[in-house]
Amino acid sequence: MSGRWPAAAVALVCALALMVLVVAAPEHLSAIDQGRAAQGALQMPPFGADGRGRPRWEYAAQGASVVALPALAAGLLVSAFSVLGGVVRAMGLERVDPMIQAAGEIVGALPRMVVILVVALVLPREWRGLMPLALTWALLSAPGAMDEAAAVAERLGGARFVEALRAHGYSAPRIFLVHIVGYNLRPVLVRQGAEVMSQVVFLEIALSYLAASRQDPSFTHSDSLVSWADILYLGYQALAFREPYGHAVVLGLGLLALVTVFASAVGRAARAR
Amino acid sequence: MKRWWLRPLVRFVAALVLPVAVPFLCVLLLWALPGDPASIICPPESCSGTEELARRWNLDAGPGHYFWSWISGVAQGEWGNSWRLMTGMGVRALVEESVPNTLMLLGLAFIPVVVGSLVAALELVNERVDPALQVIGAVPGILLALLAAAWQTLTFGPDGERMAGLLLGAAVLGLADGVFSGAVLGTRSLFGSERRQRYVGVAVLRGERIIENTLPNVAPAFIGQLRARGVQLLSGAVVIEVVLRIDGVGDLLWQATLVQDFGLVMPVVTAFALFSSALLLVQAVAEIGVALLVRRSPRVPLGGAA
Repeated sequence: MSGRWPAAAVALVCALALMVLVVAAPEHLSAIDQGRAAQGALQMPPFGADGRGRPRWEYAAQGASVVALPALAAGLLVSAFSVLGGVVRAMGLERVDPMIQAAGEIVGALPRMVVILVVALVLPREWRGLMPLALTWALLSAPGAMDEAAAVAERLGGARFVEALRAHGYSAPRIFLVHIVGYNLRPVLVRQGAEVMSQVVFLEIALSYLAASRQDPSFTHSDSLVSWADILYLGYQALAFREPYGHAVVLGLGLLALVTVFASAVGRAARAR
Repeated sequence: MKRWWLRPLVRFVAALVLPVAVPFLCVLLLWALPGDPASIICPPESCSGTEELARRWNLDAGPGHYFWSWISGVAQGEWGNSWRLMTGMGVRALVEESVPNTLMLLGLAFIPVVVGSLVAALELVNERVDPALQVIGAVPGILLALLAAAWQTLTFGPDGERMAGLLLGAAVLGLADGVFSGAVLGTRSLFGSERRQRYVGVAVLRGERIIENTLPNVAPAFIGQLRARGVQLLSGAVVIEVVLRIDGVGDLLWQATLVQDFGLVMPVVTAFALFSSALLLVQAVAEIGVALLVRRSPRVPLGGAA
């Protein structure tokens, strides 16, 4: 029993929960209602209200909509690079492979958060958002993913594996798309993609939290939106200053757990049999 | 590999190039994006006198001119001034003040990584603790930092306490984002797969210790893993320093980025590149040392005596 099907079921449930949040995200937060300020989950289900009486579920939903597309794009980009790394190794391209490794060494030597901040600095204001940062993160993660995919292709036998399948009369698309990518690289591609998706979510939370903690505008979304970092910031205030936002801690932790479990379950579900 | 020196040489060259290449790429990136750099740093709709500022910030004569005047200034010890964060103040003093805090944070955070790696290399980590390690590794740094910051505020008040902040930051940095668990599990996997090699079994039959046989062969990969953790710590230091209010270069970079102080970002980014270069150099020197040690071993004559 490999546990792939239970993992797939867990991943599906998590994905559905995240999709429901994205679809339900309101364009703007509800109007301020001081009469309901800081109400708990029982008084204002399901997640209570903030200090201005606005429902906390709107924070969760808007936060999900901020991260959904950029995280997905980053995950897909990393998976695409993994395919490239694996296929290059399988094709035995002796000139390209060392160049990819050298580029990977240099990119891998750069602290990712520093690069992200430099990109955030030089982006024109009209381009600001999570998407360019997420794609940058994906590019920085790509060498590691390519390396792992290349190692899988190497274990298969590299160019000899391709030659053997050609000798069996298989067409190039069948060899590369079905046998190499579909059967052998799939676990790596899916796991790397899912991991980068969760990393982009945590990156957004980190950047927005740092901005929120100093009352600065976020690099990742417009001022009219809130992100999951705002929930965590309320949670911090509850923990550090005993403010009545204890349920924000639970909600913030729950959202982080949802993303972590999703990434882990997707990776487990895609494992080779 | 016949040319064993090639890989360390590449690292050595990369280590030399990185502190120059990184600020150069920053400059190129600033010029490569649409719109002129002065307008990006100081948009005309929210900032008057953009042309004058471009002249003052040396942004009016192209990327080559800007980079050359900046790098020649750095070579002469003149790092320029902060544009916005602390307008007019020399950035060298700001960076020099921040570097020791970051080094201390990184040094303390590296302790659990090294200890965990050594314990794993000596096979003292039972596989039953793997789930716990995986859970610890899955916790994002921002969450642990937030909890640590809340505890620090409760215990020492809103202003915190420097040493407590550093220790907490190091603990968070060393544990979160899979740094510690990655070090332990990665090292154990590395040594474990080497231990299954046939020559190790033969060495055991000869009464030799396993670690003495496996270490020279896995040392380059082991050092590479430690360097990867070092780079991960460098990256994580930015978030930890800001959340726990540690006055390091990561905090300086964050503040400079927020106010688009390119004059301050350049030396801070160079400082990070220097940290990365140092790690690359350490890895290159260690690889050379291991290679020389392995090659010093007596050669076994092939084909017997003539």
